[in-house]
Amino acid sequence: MDCPTCETMVDAYVDGELTTSESAAFERALEGCPECRRRLEAARTLSGLLRELPAEPAPDLLRARIERELRTIAGASRVRLPGAGMRWGAMAASLIVAVSIGWLGGSLVGQGGRETDELVAGYIRMAMSEHGVDVASSDRHTVKPWFAGRIDYSPPVHDLTQEGFPLVGGRLDFIDGRKVAVLVYRHNQHRVALTLWPSSLSGNTAATVRQRDGFALAEWRHDGFDMRAVADLAPAEMKAFTTAVDAAVTEDR
Amino acid sequence: MGRMSDAPKPDGGTVGRFRSVVLPHLDAAYGYARWLTRDPVEAQDVAQEAMLRALRYFHAFRGEEARPWLMRIVRNTWIDLRKRNGAEKLPLEVLETRAAEGPDPEQSALAGDRRRQVAAALAALPAESREVLVLREIEDLSYKHIAAVLDLPIGTVMSRIARAREKLVVELKGRLERSEHGLPDL
Repeated sequence: MDCPTCETMVDAYVDGELTTSESAAFERALEGCPECRRRLEAARTLSGLLRELPAEPAPDLLRARIERELRTIAGASRVRLPGAGMRWGAMAASLIVAVSIGWLGGSLVGQGGRETDELVAGYIRMAMSEHGVDVASSDRHTVKPWFAGRIDYSPPVHDLTQEGFPLVGGRLDFIDGRKVAVLVYRHNQHRVALTLWPSSLSGNTAATVRQRDGFALAEWRHDGFDMRAVADLAPAEMKAFTTAVDAAVTEDR
Repeated sequence: MGRMSDAPKPDGGTVGRFRSVVLPHLDAAYGYARWLTRDPVEAQDVAQEAMLRALRYFHAFRGEEARPWLMRIVRNTWIDLRKRNGAEKLPLEVLETRAAEGPDPEQSALAGDRRRQVAAALAALPAESREVLVLREIEDLSYKHIAAVLDLPIGTVMSRIARAREKLVVELKGRLERSEHGLPDL
């Protein structure tokens, strides 16, 4: 076997794609070919490096979205969901933004990890449920009073249609054992979630946006409320959302 | 693959079979989409759309291996969505920075500098080289299955893999020299 021939076989050999007799012929050729031995070692090293890259499993939210689609399709003959007339492609593109507003006081201080887990879990529950909201309305004068008597404070509620985030409605959730209110917004075909509760601290802070598990989390304080937003949005879109919330709250004072 | 109107509407039974045959490969579909798009949000959109397409085409599934079958749909979905959205939008520097930070710095254990460099080097390869290495090394598909996913002859797959490894060696060497963490045997 000449070197150009064994050279072409190096990768197939590493990948276990040669037949037994081809392998044997290649191994014999290798003995007299230091260049191909070097290539073989490089290919093996590279293969090992790539295989030790950690696999990133499908995010829970993606799984939840697919589950929701499958349930919808399986039960399509009896259930007609809002948006079922939309093209599937458009539904696939759907993002979810929800805003939850809850009274948690200072109880979350020092529990950042757990708080995030609970916010994300609530977000996924919202994403999996058929409507995602307990009160469905783009009218703040319907959504805001709905919270009265259900939670012990009155969250600021604003429709952000002009900024590209129309209000979808509100819902309640539990975080750290306390009842919180969640406002749900839409961005294009996607929904977005933001959680806020009266803050024990004063002063406004700029929103910090980070990515986790394929979606964006924002955290900030504005006008006496601690705010947490969760959405499978790009960070820049999430930032735009937080800016829109701040502007609406400030303007309403 | 037929147009949507050609396909019978999936019913409850179809969805049930789909759950047991195709859904277990969601992690692989997302992983592949993650490397194709190099963006976690976009990867979710591609994987979800691909799953829904797969369900639509499931009536034509003839019991071949589900994973390569699904991967082919993921790839076609990615190509279609990219066309719809107007090619790759992000400049490479952004993508490289992201890849260098790992797929998800908070959650996964992409801790080692070496692994970050490897991920960044792979992410920086042109799509043609990147995807063939992902299918081979990360998704562990055989040449035959890769050929089916990419719709190419096996011989072409073989030469692409060889070329892609050469490119990755060059890319990686450059990075490791810059970061002064040498690797043996490359």
